[in-house]
Parts: sequence; structure tokens; C-alpha cells
Amino acid sequence: MTWIACELHTHTLHSDGRQTLRELAEGAAKLGFGAIALTDHNTMSGLAGKADIEREFGLTIIPGMEWTTFYGHMVTIGLSEFADWRQAGRSDIDRGIAEVHRLGGIAGLAHPFRIGSPACTGCFWEYEVGDWNAVDYVEVWSGTFPSIKTDNRRAFGLWTDKLNEGYRIAATSGRDWHAQEETDEPVSVTYLEIEDEGGESGAASAASPDSGAAEPSRFGAETQPEEVGRGASSAAALAETRLIEALRQGRVSVTIGPLLTMALESGGELWSVGSSVPARVSARAASAAPTSDVPASVGSQGEEAADSVEAAAIRVKLSLDFSVRRGLWTLDDQVFKLKLHSNLGEELSLDAPFKAARPEEVGVGAAESRKALLERGALPAAPGVGTAEEPLRLDLEAELPTPAADSPRSWLRAELWGTARGAYTRIAFTNAVYFEHEEGKNRL
Amino acid sequence: MELLDIQGSVTPEESRTHIRVPLELHEGCGRLNVRFEYAPKNLEDRERALELLKESYDLYILPEQREQAVARADRHLPLKNLITLSFDGPDGYRGACHRHDEVQELFLASGEASPGLMPGRLEAGEWNVTLSLHCIVTATCEYRLRAWTSEREESA
Ligand SMILES: [Zn+2]
Ligand SMILES: [Zn+2]
Repeated sequence: MTWIACELHTHTLHSDGRQTLRELAEGAAKLGFGAIALTDHNTMSGLAGKADIEREFGLTIIPGMEWTTFYGHMVTIGLSEFADWRQAGRSDIDRGIAEVHRLGGIAGLAHPFRIGSPACTGCFWEYEVGDWNAVDYVEVWSGTFPSIKTDNRRAFGLWTDKLNEGYRIAATSGRDWHAQEETDEPVSVTYLEIEDEGGESGAASAASPDSGAAEPSRFGAETQPEEVGRGASSAAALAETRLIEALRQGRVSVTIGPLLTMALESGGELWSVGSSVPARVSARAASAAPTSDVPASVGSQGEEAADSVEAAAIRVKLSLDFSVRRGLWTLDDQVFKLKLHSNLGEELSLDAPFKAARPEEVGVGAAESRKALLERGALPAAPGVGTAEEPLRLDLEAELPTPAADSPRSWLRAELWGTARGAYTRIAFTNAVYFEHEEGKNRL
Repeated sequence: MELLDIQGSVTPEESRTHIRVPLELHEGCGRLNVRFEYAPKNLEDRERALELLKESYDLYILPEQREQAVARADRHLPLKNLITLSFDGPDGYRGACHRHDEVQELFLASGEASPGLMPGRLEAGEWNVTLSLHCIVTATCEYRLRAWTSEREESA
């Protein structure tokens, strides 16, 4: 599995952008993106010349279109052809989404809380969605330095609400990129985790250090020999398919800095973001959890029991990869907070020390604080010491708390909090891992 | 050959509606030309604009932030009318021109087309130009749509 840095919301001269596709692709390549989605307003004519531009800049261009309608903007990507945006009434967007799906695409709410007409026509999402399961994703971060903006906080809240209601929806960022203009603000990246060879669906994976600079040929022809003869366009199509599939399944992590990944582990099995922990595992963890009213047993039997508790528990493995898009983002040295958030609220908060020159590679348990790390000598005594060396990576592991029997966990995501440009805010977040529960059991 | 020259007037009540204008394209047409213009573009009445904005803030902005939004309303001025064009041929959709220009000179031909439109065969038969009235903020907005064909692909 490989994480690809993507920009999923862009415009060109073919709608109201002030850039050609070539200029856009060049700018995206310079910013370390491995893929972009072209989402011009109500047209796909801007894709002309796509194959040559993909080759020239070594990135994948996903075909798409932003439904720029009277009651909301909807980003649609991965379509084979045009889906008509003009017939959508306020209460029948479901039909439009179904049409997008029929054409092989996926649909997401674009900037759902941006002010609407007349300031920004149709920009606020006013559609009544009948079936939220049909919505593939919500663009929860729009624009540059998105996490501090009120509109995006509302969008993030909407996503969380829908997860709490039991829907499985992905969350992305999109710059809504209209022109090649310099910005001082942090640029957000949506990382999509694509399968390499054979496909190890559901398995956790490590981020490859150069994941931001993937070439279309790299995840195409060489691993699929039967595709070779059909040339580069086929490789690009394969890349598109994998990226769309990753987003459809929620293998997504969003950041303005390091790549944050999360996997859950229990009894030797692994579940990464976008996948579901089966009911038997959740049940096993719940039943094996030590409770305060049972006295601790002693002797060999006790040890066995302890072992089985150990095996049944769900452990969460978090990784921060600071090597992605190296030199293209900056954050001050600090101790980040890595938080686990679920339908039960904030479940855990871990310290994640960061030093721009050389983040220390440490493994810590849930209980370990920065103070403990300092005492152990795991943290550098003074900032600014040390040389840049691989790997620029921080791994943390912790045991997931066992929820009360009457309030099961249905989803879990990781969030990275810290200070950016003087504001304490979300720096990154993963999409959710879901938890299945047996029918009639542990259900609210 | 001239196909169409129509004028019309629309009002704010017609915001969020489409006007579909049919065109009959004859055999052997090399290029479809369209000129579309509408005026006024901006709502110059500041009082009215602020009133409209205030109404929209009540809809779209959280109560605790409305006061601040009103104080910063200038960032959303001037308010603009927005009408966009999209095209359909007998073979299907031929693109849209979603941009704010109040005068648009567009063309479609087999090898080339204006940005937003899809080049390709100009099939004879019924075509449609759709005017999408995304937002009309002025009391009235006048438009004029002209369409004509040329035998040759290049502009005359
Ligand atoms: Zn939009
Ligand atoms: Zn957009």
C-alpha cells in the first residue's frame, strides 16, 4: 500500500479558473502532489491534453466535475462521462448521486458551509440528502489553512455527526484551486492509500517516504503485466481507478504537514483506516477487559488470563511520517497532541514530540508523557540539536480503552493537534476505522 | 447563417431557474457561433445589496457570527448577477461556460471550441443553449443571445 498526495478540487480556464491544465499540473507537481482531480464547474472539456501533461509532470489527473448548481456544489470524480447537473431540485440530489455512481464516479459535498447566494451562488449545501450512505465524501477542509476557518469547522462537525449516526463517509480537503498564486498559508493535502501489487485490502501499511512524488507508471504497468501493451494511458487509468477506490473505501488521511496514519491490531490481525473491525473482535475485547469488581487472580491461571486479555485487547498503532513532501511545509518545534476520537468523544490523548530537524523515533505507551520521555532520555535535551537523518518518523502505540457495554464504539479516527501559524488547531486527521457489532447486541 | 437573435428580461424571482433555447442546426455546418451578453452585471444600490446580504447571513452564518459578518459585508460587494451557458447537441452535452463575464463570444467546431465547450462533430438537428440563472440581484436584468453558423471551422 502506498499513500499518494492528492489535491482533489481544482479549476482551469475551462470554467472560472485562471490557469491552464498544464499550469495547474506544473504547480501541483512543484507542491509535491502525486495526483490531482480536475473539477471544473459543469464541464469536463479541460481534460484535453491530459495524457501528455500527466507524463510531463509525473502525476495522475483524475477526471471530475464540480456540479455547480443552485442548491449546492458537489465534487464528482472518476466519471467516464458527463452526469447532468441541471435537473437537480432541492430534494432529489440522490438521483444525481446515483447517476454519478452509475457512470463509475464518486460524489462529495464541496465546501458545504461556504456562504451561499448572492455572495457565492449555490455555494452553501441546501440539498436534502435522502440517503447519506450514498454520499461518498465530504470536503471538510476547503481552501488554504483550512482548519482554522469556521465554515470548515462546521463541515468537520457535519462529518462527525454523520459518523455518529452510523454512516460511513470519507472526509477530504480541497483547495478549490483557481490560480497559480503564491500563498503563505499552509496547503492541505489529502493522502489516498492505494493498493500496490496483488492488493492487501484491509492490511495496515507503512507510508513510503517518497509517496508524494508517485509517477503514474509506478503504480500501473509494472505490477499488471497484462496492461503493459496498452501503454501509458492504461497505466494512468489504473492509477485513477485505484485512487477512486481508495477514496470510496475511506483510505484517506488529511494534513497540512506530516502524514498521520492509524491501524488497529488485535490477535495478530490488522485494520487500517477505512476498514471495519469485525463484531467478534469488538466482543472479544469487551468480554476480556478487566473490570474493577473482579479481584485480580494469582498464580499460573491468572497469568493465562492476563495473556488472553492481552491477546484480546485492541491496540492502536499511530504513525507520523514527517518525510512526506519534504521542505514543502513547515511547523514549529513542539509537542503535538495525538488524539483518538470516536462516537464516544475523545478517548485518548498522547504526546507526540516534534523537532523540525529530527523528530525522535520513540515508542511510547498510553501512559507515557513527555515528562517520562524526557526522564528516559528519549527526547532531545535541547531543541536544534541533531542532524537530519532517516527515518523522519514517529510511531506510537497504545491500548484502546474498552467502552462500557451499553455504549459501544462504532468508529474511531486519529487527529493531530498543535500550533500552526500561532493558532492551536487540527494539523491532520485520519478517516475512520469502523467497528461492527452483533445484531441486537451492544446496540443503542 | 443567422439562427437566432433573442432578447429577454429576467428578475430576481427567476433566480435558480434555467431558460432552454432550442436551435436547429443544418447539415454541413462547420462552426456554431454564439454571442451572449447581459446587463447590468452589478447591483450598484448599496443599501439594497446590504439588505440582501443580511438576509443571506441569517440563512448561512451561525447566529453568533452574524454581527461580525455584517460588519465585514464589504468583502462580498458588489453583488453580481450570474447567468451561465451550457450546450446540448443531438449527441449529448457539449459543455458549459461557468464564468462571470457578462459578454461571452463562444464557438463550437469539430477541432476546437471555446474553453468549457467540447469540440466535435456539429451534428445536424436540434440543439439547446441553456441559460442558467444562478443569481439575479438587480430589479431586472436584460440579456441578448445571438447564434449563427459558418461553413468553415475558422472564424470569419
Ligand atoms: Zn464550489
Ligand atoms: Zn470549486
